[in-house]
Amino acid sequence: MKKDLVIIGGGAAGLAAALSANHPNIHILVIEREKSLGGILNQCIHNGFGLHVFKEELTGPEYADRYLEAFLKLNIEFLLDTTVVDVKKTDDFELTVTSYETGLFKINSKAVILSSGCYERTRGSIAIPGERPKGIMPAGSAQRYLNIDGYLVGKRIFILGSGDIGLIMARRMTLEGAKVLGVAEIMPYSNGLTRNIVQCLNDYDIPLYLSHTVTNVIGKERLEQITIQEVDSNFNPIEHTEKIFDVDTLLLSVGLVPDISLFDSLDFKRDPITKSAVVNQFYETSVSGLFICGNALHVHDLVDYVSIESEKAGKSAQNYILNDRKQSNHLHTIKFNENIRYIVPQLIDFEHLEANIDLSFRVSKKMEAAVFKIIQNGTEIMTKRAKNLAPAEMEKMSLKIDKLIDDSPITLLLEEVSL
Amino acid sequence: MKKLICIACPVGCHLLVDDQLHVEGNKCIRGEKYAIEELTHPTRILTTTIKTTSVTTPRLSVKTKDPIPKELIFDVLHLLEGLIIDKDVKIGDVVIHDILNTGIDLVATKSVTINPFH
Amino acid sequence: MYDYVIIGAGIVGTNIARELSRYKANILVLEKENDAANHQTVANSAIIHSGHDPKENTLKAKLCVEGNILYETMEKELNIPILRTGAFVVAHDRNEEDMLDQLYQRALNNGVKEILFHDQSQAQQIEPNLADDITKVLSLPSTKVTYPWEVAFACLENAIHNGVTFKKNSRVTNIVKTEDFFNVEINDAEIIQTKSIISAAGIFSDQVAYLLEENVPYQIFPRKGEYFVLDRKAKGFINHVIYPLPTKKGKGVLIIPQVHGNILLGPTSQLQDEKDLLSNTRDGLNQIKNDLHTLAKNIPFNLIIRTFAGIRASSSYEDFYIQESKEFSNFFHVAGIDSPGLTAAPAIAKYLVNQLVDKHHLKENINFDPIRPKKTVFYKLNFEEQLALIKKDPRYGNLVCKCEKITETEIVEAIHGPLGNDTIKGIKKRARAGSGLCQGGYCEQTVLKIIARETNQPINKINYYGLNTPILVQETKVKP
Repeated sequence: MKKDLVIIGGGAAGLAAALSANHPNIHILVIEREKSLGGILNQCIHNGFGLHVFKEELTGPEYADRYLEAFLKLNIEFLLDTTVVDVKKTDDFELTVTSYETGLFKINSKAVILSSGCYERTRGSIAIPGERPKGIMPAGSAQRYLNIDGYLVGKRIFILGSGDIGLIMARRMTLEGAKVLGVAEIMPYSNGLTRNIVQCLNDYDIPLYLSHTVTNVIGKERLEQITIQEVDSNFNPIEHTEKIFDVDTLLLSVGLVPDISLFDSLDFKRDPITKSAVVNQFYETSVSGLFICGNALHVHDLVDYVSIESEKAGKSAQNYILNDRKQSNHLHTIKFNENIRYIVPQLIDFEHLEANIDLSFRVSKKMEAAVFKIIQNGTEIMTKRAKNLAPAEMEKMSLKIDKLIDDSPITLLLEEVSL
Repeated sequence: MKKLICIACPVGCHLLVDDQLHVEGNKCIRGEKYAIEELTHPTRILTTTIKTTSVTTPRLSVKTKDPIPKELIFDVLHLLEGLIIDKDVKIGDVVIHDILNTGIDLVATKSVTINPFH
Repeated sequence: MYDYVIIGAGIVGTNIARELSRYKANILVLEKENDAANHQTVANSAIIHSGHDPKENTLKAKLCVEGNILYETMEKELNIPILRTGAFVVAHDRNEEDMLDQLYQRALNNGVKEILFHDQSQAQQIEPNLADDITKVLSLPSTKVTYPWEVAFACLENAIHNGVTFKKNSRVTNIVKTEDFFNVEINDAEIIQTKSIISAAGIFSDQVAYLLEENVPYQIFPRKGEYFVLDRKAKGFINHVIYPLPTKKGKGVLIIPQVHGNILLGPTSQLQDEKDLLSNTRDGLNQIKNDLHTLAKNIPFNLIIRTFAGIRASSSYEDFYIQESKEFSNFFHVAGIDSPGLTAAPAIAKYLVNQLVDKHHLKENINFDPIRPKKTVFYKLNFEEQLALIKKDPRYGNLVCKCEKITETEIVEAIHGPLGNDTIKGIKKRARAGSGLCQGGYCEQTVLKIIARETNQPINKINYYGLNTPILVQETKVKP
C-alpha cells in the first residue's frame, strides 16, 4: 500500500492535521488504534473545550464531533482498531501496521504525521513507597472505566495531583456516588484552573492539601490506607506531618508523557524537557518528512491549541509533499532564559520564512506580571506584556517574520515586572 | 463574611462578601456579579452519563443545555439512575425535556447507535 | 489417597512436582494463592548464579553449581527464556582485589568451571558504563538470567501434563498423622489424605511445619529486598550482571539485565518481622541509588517504570534445610530456600526426589514427557512467520499491549492454557501485557474485557489478582 501521508492517531491532533493537509493530489490515511475516532476527547465528557476555536463552551465529545463531521465530509481514508507497530525510513517511510480485520501489512508513505497523544505517568515511575495492592490507577484510566464503560473503580478515593484531570475526576467520582477524601499536590499551588478548584473541590467540600505527597501505601491485595505528608522546598517529606486516609482507591494525576516510543528506532533529535522531538516552525522533526503535533509533541492544557498547532502541521506536511519542501541547513535554535521552561518549535528554519511563526511555551514559575522580549542580534524586535503567567498554562506568541532584521538566532526573554 | 474565588476570568480575585451582599476584592464588575450570583442563586452546568443498551457505547454522555440550580444536581443524578437509552440518539438531541421543572433540557453530547447491524 | 502432597507452588515446589512426575506416583500440589508463583518466585533478581558466593561444602554451593548446569537442559525441554549475560564481581582497590582472589578460590572449590579476571581496561572495554574507579573484575561467564515465574509455570505445566494435580486457593490449615498417612486439612474444611508431604512453603515453611511438628528445626527470618525496574529502553546500558563484593548482609545491590530487555537495580537487604509486608521505602530506594554509583556511571534512572520488594526466606539454619522430619516420617522439609534458590531449584528437586526414589522404591513413569512446547511470542517471529500465523488466527492481528507488543491470541492462550488464569496480574505474569512503559495504563481495560469474554463473566467480576479484587467496583446509573 502506498500513501502520500499517513497520520498516526485520529484524535484532536490527527483530525485537525488531516483537514488541513487534505488536497486532491494527496492520498491521506489516518490510522487510529481505538474503535472510533476522537481520541481522548471521547472520555472527557466535561465542559471547557472550544472557547478559542469555536467561541463556545463544549464538552470533549462535542468538540471531537465538530472535527469529525468536517473530516467525514471530506472522505479521507481512515482505519480503525489498527495499530502502527514499526516504522522504518529509507527514501520514504515504511510502516508496519496490524489489525484484526486486515492482518499485518506494510504501508509506504512520503510523509508521516505523528499525532499519537500521551500516556500517563505511573506509580512506579515516581516510586511512591509502600505496598502494591490493587486500587492504584492513573486518573485517565479511571475516567475511561467511568465514562465509557460505566463503572466506578472504587468507593473511597484519594487523588494525588491537582492538575485538571485530577480535579475533574474528583468531581466525577463524587457525582457517581464515591467519596473523595482529598487531593494532594506536591507543589505549593495547584496546577489546575481556578474554575476547577471551585467547581470540583470547593463545591463538594473536598480538601486540597498543597505541598503534600503520598508517602505510604498500605494494603495486601486491595488498597486500604494511604499516608500523605507535607514536603519542604526540596520536596522531601517533613516528619510528623503524616495524615492517614482509609481509602480503596488512589488515583494518580502526576503528569503526561508524549507517546512516541514507536519512533525510537528513527533516531530524531529530542528535547529532554518536552520529552518529545525537536521541531522547526513547520513541526517537522530532524527526520525529513516526519511531523509531530498535539500532545505527542508537547503536553497541552487546551485542546484548542492542539487543533491550531495540528492544522499548521497538516499544512506543512501538505507543502512537503506537493512542493518537496525539505528542511534547510540554515536552522537556529531559539534561545530562552531561565524564566521559560521550554519552547516549541525549538528551531527556526531561516531559509523558509513563509508565515508568522507561532511560539508556544511554558514559564518556569508563577508570575503576576511580566514582559516578553524577542531579541535578535542585540536588538529588541518584539515585546509583549502579560499577566498571571503560570507553568500550568501554555503561553503563545506570534513571531512576525517582517520584524526579523536578519537571519541570526533569536532569543526569547521573559522578565518579571512589578504590577 | 463569605470567602470566594471569582472564576469569571483567569485572574481569580479572592472575594469577601458580607451578609448584605456587599462584595470586596473584585478587580472588575464581573466579580461583583459572580459573587452575588454564587451566594444567592448558584448554578452549574451538569455533565454526566446515562446507561444505554448499546454494546459498543454503554454510556451516553449528556449535559444540561444551560446551568441549573446547584442544589438540584444530585436530584438530577438520581433521576437518571435506572434510566436506559434504548433508541438511537444523535448529538444535540434532547434526552430529557425541562428537567425537574427548571426549563432546561438535558441533551446528548455524543451520538449512539443502539443496533449497529441494521 | 495421594502418594505425595507438595505444599507450595513456587519455583521449588513446581520443580519438585515435575521431577517427581518422572516416577509413578499420585501427586498433588497445593497453593494457597490464586495462582502459582507468588512470593519469592516473583520478587527476586532472576539470576542463575555461577556458584562463587555460597560457602564451600554447603548444600547451597553444591546445588547452585548443579542447578546452573541443569538450566541448560531445562531451557531446551521447557522452552524457558535464558539470557547468557555472564557476571562481573567488581573491586576498587587492593583490599577488594584480595577479596576477589578469595572469591575466585571459593568458586573453584565449589566446582565453578569457567572463571577469569579482567583488568580495568579490559573490563571498561567490555562494559563502558562501569564505574571509573573499578580496578579489577572477576568474570563468571556461566552466570545467566531467566524469567523466574515462567520457569515455575513451565515446570508446573509439564508436571500437570505428566499427571500431577494442581489446586490453587488451597491453604493448608492443619496436618494430622495417622498410622500410615497424613490428613491434610485445606481452608479449615476439606481433608485430603496422603502418604507423604513435601513442604516447599517458602517464607511460611516454619508455620506449615508447626502444623505438624512440636519442634521445627529452623526459624524463618523474613529479609526484604527492594528493587527498581528500568524500562526496556535501558537495554545495552550494561550487559553483564554486576555484583559488588559480598558482605555479611548478602550479595549487595546489583545491576541485573533481564531477559526481556529491562534492567533490575537492587536488592537491598533488610530483616523485618512481618512475612508479608512487601513495601518499598524511601530509604531502601535511596540506598539502591547510592550503592549503584560504585558499580556504574550514566545510570538511566529516568527510565524507572516500577519498584517492587520481595521477602527472602532466610533461616536460622543458614543452609538449605532439605531433610525428612525427625518427628514424623514421610514429612519432608524443603526450607530456608533463599539465594541461590532460583538457581538451585532443579537441583534441589533432584536431590530430594532421588532420596524419595530410594526410600519409597519409586518406579519410573515410562510415559514421562519432558517437553513443554514453545510458546509463540508473535513479535519475536519474522514477518513471513507472522503472516502465516495471522492467516490461521486473525487474533494475532489485534495488538493489545502496545508497549510490549502482545497480541490477543497470546492473551487468550494465557487465559486458557493448562495453567490458565483469569486475573489481570495473572495474565501479566504469563503474557507480559502491562509490563512495559505505561504499566497497563492503555491495555488493562482491553485485557479485562478479553478475560470477561473468554471466561463468560461480566466485566465487573474480573479480579486484579486475588479472589476478591475486582477492578470495577460499582456500576453507575443503575437503581441502588
